[in-house]
Amino acid sequence: MKSVITTVVAAADAAGRFPTTSDLESVQGSIQRAAARLEAAEKLAANLDAVAKEAYDAAIKKYSYLNNAGEANSTDTFKAKCLRDIKHYLRLINYSLVVGGTGPLDEWGIAGQREVYRTLGLPTAPYVEALSFARNRGCAPRDLSAQALTEYNSLLDYVINSLS
Amino acid sequence: MLDAFSRAVVSADSKTAPIGGDDLNQLRNFIASGNRRLDAVNAIASNASCMVSDAVAGMICENTGLIQAGGNCYPNRRMAACLRDAEIILRYVSYALLAGDASVLDDRCLNGLKETYTALGVPLQSTARAVAIMKAQAAAHIQDNPSEALAGAKLRKMGTPVVEDRCASLVAESSSYFDRVIAALS
Repeated sequence: MKSVITTVVAAADAAGRFPTTSDLESVQGSIQRAAARLEAAEKLAANLDAVAKEAYDAAIKKYSYLNNAGEANSTDTFKAKCLRDIKHYLRLINYSLVVGGTGPLDEWGIAGQREVYRTLGLPTAPYVEALSFARNRGCAPRDLSAQALTEYNSLLDYVINSLS
Repeated sequence: MLDAFSRAVVSADSKTAPIGGDDLNQLRNFIASGNRRLDAVNAIASNASCMVSDAVAGMICENTGLIQAGGNCYPNRRMAACLRDAEIILRYVSYALLAGDASVLDDRCLNGLKETYTALGVPLQSTARAVAIMKAQAAAHIQDNPSEALAGAKLRKMGTPVVEDRCASLVAESSSYFDRVIAALS
């Protein structure tokens, strides 16, 4: 899994050398920024269900036709799956906050996403709406510190861009 | 390859749970002791060639048959291979210590090492002894407390600010990586 530390180690290994001062400096840089990321990860983990529910409701409110018979949010099973998918994205954002890179999102969320949604006949616009709602919902310092909010929002933007 | 952070992610993903609570506190400790960890890696990297030559020399002193005709460190060509391998092992231990996770050591160094050494006729016990010496040296250098009696004129100190417990947790962690190497060879 790609992170600052594994990238540094892989580069040192390719050159066959011990970690140099500059390697250690770049690890130090990522460690210094880690506190804000972990704060965001902790707040997100604690409130993940509530954040997902609000985002889901916002998407269904905007695209209410999805509740019609035969549409993607028509049955209880579909509704549960749609909410689950949003939770899934938020969980991967939580992981990416911990790792300090987009590795978990790339590997477990975005790779193959377009193909899956096309095969299942699912619209991506509601996901974009749900995540955009979450993107604009976070507020510093009410929910989390400004730096933590920036890290969290930038990952939401990353997913939104991948879906649109 | 994983580090302490991605290890937490992989184990949380197997439970499809977000990372919070205790796992995050462990990572916070990792961050809080980050500078000490970098000092520890630096202590190993800066003393690497000294540690490697001492460990191999110590191994040979205890078993001089190794450098007599027919021994595994005779002639120079095989001695050089031995020094090179000790340095490689120490290098991967330093990577593992930097990452806070043994996966790089396991995947890139230990996987198949015993089979390779067996096929080449390298004595595993002697190798394990050299690794054990490096383990003691690494502990001494991370504590910045090398033995003056044993080192004599070659005494080297890092001069980093030393905390009360002399980085006990990092010493334990690096020792665990050396133990992993020894376990993989036996």
